[in-house]
Amino acid sequence: MKRLVTVLVVLSLIVGGAFAQAKKQYKIGAAVYGLKAEYMRLWTTALERHPDVQSGLVKITVFDGQYDASVQQAQFENMVVQGYDAILFVPIDINAGAQAVATAANAHIPVIGSNTRVKSDQLTSYIGSNDVLSGNMEAEAVAKAIGGKGNVVILEGPIGQSAQIERRQGNLEALKKYPKIKVLEMKTANWSRAEALTLMEDWLNAYPGKINGVIGQNDEMALGAIQAIKQAGLNVKKFPIAGIDGVTDAMIAVKNNEMVSILQDATGQAQGALDLALRAVIGESYKPKAAFWKDVDWGKTMQKQYSVPWVPITQNNVDNLLSERQALTNR
Amino acid sequence: MSERERVSAKAEMSSRDQGKDGEARLKGIISEYGIVLVFFLFCAVLAFASPYFLKPKNLINVLRQVSINGLLSIGMTFVILTGGIDLSVGSILAFSSVVAASFVSTAFPGRTEAAPIGIAILASMGVAAVLGGVNGILVSRMKVPAFVATLGMLSMGRGFTFIYTDGMPIPKIDPSFLVIGQGTIFGFVPLPVVIFIIAFGVAWVVLYKTRFGRYVYAVGGNEKSAKVSGINTKLIIFFVYVISGVLAAIGGLILTARTTAGLPQAGQSYELDAIAAVVIGGTSLSGGQGDLRGTLFGALIIGVIGNGLDLLGVSSYYQQVIKGAIIVGAVLLDSFRKRND
Repeated sequence: MKRLVTVLVVLSLIVGGAFAQAKKQYKIGAAVYGLKAEYMRLWTTALERHPDVQSGLVKITVFDGQYDASVQQAQFENMVVQGYDAILFVPIDINAGAQAVATAANAHIPVIGSNTRVKSDQLTSYIGSNDVLSGNMEAEAVAKAIGGKGNVVILEGPIGQSAQIERRQGNLEALKKYPKIKVLEMKTANWSRAEALTLMEDWLNAYPGKINGVIGQNDEMALGAIQAIKQAGLNVKKFPIAGIDGVTDAMIAVKNNEMVSILQDATGQAQGALDLALRAVIGESYKPKAAFWKDVDWGKTMQKQYSVPWVPITQNNVDNLLSERQALTNR
Repeated sequence: MSERERVSAKAEMSSRDQGKDGEARLKGIISEYGIVLVFFLFCAVLAFASPYFLKPKNLINVLRQVSINGLLSIGMTFVILTGGIDLSVGSILAFSSVVAASFVSTAFPGRTEAAPIGIAILASMGVAAVLGGVNGILVSRMKVPAFVATLGMLSMGRGFTFIYTDGMPIPKIDPSFLVIGQGTIFGFVPLPVVIFIIAFGVAWVVLYKTRFGRYVYAVGGNEKSAKVSGINTKLIIFFVYVISGVLAAIGGLILTARTTAGLPQAGQSYELDAIAAVVIGGTSLSGGQGDLRGTLFGALIIGVIGNGLDLLGVSSYYQQVIKGAIIVGAVLLDSFRKRND
């Protein structure tokens, strides 16, 4: 029993010691809704590659919200107690997230939203991509590929997260222009490849031969649908399938003509958010470091919103994008 | 042996005994209070490792964050004491949470103005009692093993939650409701903590000062003997599942108020933390043995570990490994203790 206690103490001290710091650094927390799918992992990796993090000026701590709004709330409370200098926020729920922002705002900690929206006017700034636009683009792509008529199914993100709300809006707006296209099913697979696989399998059984196209509100789900189609012995190239994000497997699938996708610039969103956070903390003397600002105006003062452009993935640019991705994720 | 020799031998024996006595007493204290000591040990280590741990604001945060799991764990204690288990508390929490939200939110279809929060509270505790009651009937009357019955309810409860909300979160909760999760007493004690303390106090009285409580232990210890001695074992078992459900509903009320929305995804895997708290606290999964104090400190330990590791910036992946190790470690410790007794 004594030995067990000693081991526990030593372990705890090692953990504690590894994280104790003596030098002054900006402490910035990144509260992300979940790390099970690739996109948020890319976002987090890109954040850690920011020059100011690499140089030690900023210490980033990533808080995994585990797809649970109350976990994110608790994480914000903990960050307030520790006097974090700023918080980057990717919320799981557009409404519940407002409470977390309020908690930080009451402690005068700037919160920069990134990638996913939250219904709060206490956000210092927001940097993200226009999800209505991408929803629009992917639905257009599928509609055109099936010749403007037929049946499609839509795989959605977690209901209530801003990306799901806005991409659905874009999907349906685009499809309204094609009265001969019918949406057979529209259900959530929670951004998950595994859930989408099961859902697609069931739909293939329920509507044999009737599904003409698949719109996945993100790549992971579109990839799940591809798996289902392949496992059903069907020719995946006969099904126009669209996704969003540009995760690695999706880019490979695009290369193989199995789907189309639109790249979401995780590096721009993550590093841009950190730049904005440092702008809020240090002031206008701070110069942004992300490559993203080459195309977007940094401006004289901080705006409430910054838009990161989408990059449609085509046979022309997919090889370049794949090697950039390799460079980002090399450990 | 001469008289003098006998006296001195006795004296020698008694001084050796006194040494053994002290050792036995120490063992006794560790056996009684082991879990409390471990808790304070963790706090000491964390206080040393992070300057923020002992800050009053942080300690209050920890208590607030522990209150929901604490409520679930109290109910879980009652269930496990009877030799059962309740895997459905997370789903019951979610369902009662969205039911409450639907009464106090104008965003819920068909509601033009928020109902009084009393109605929302009663409705949510009511549905939870019903679901808990179903568990209770399945286990006590239909002889479905608790694991299976509550596993089924885990799935059904979650299903009901999605059906009721059509899969959508319920935002725009009336501000008067939010005080449950965000209000304070005396300006600094969070209401969730007060609710937990009251629930704990009531549970304590029920378990230790009433016949019902004694019967709970009896049923868990040996159901057959309990029945033979005239205890209505079916009723006892039925009620512990109702208690577990109702406490999950109270947890759900706090959760809804804290997140300002009724979220159908809420509470996933919460049953695991509740079971962990009970097990770490020393309650035996086979029933009849254990106590609420153990559960209290089990829940506090889980909360403190989570909070401490957050303060130290340890990634969630390591937190999961450490939590699992503690659960197993606690049970091992317990079995060593029992072997030495």
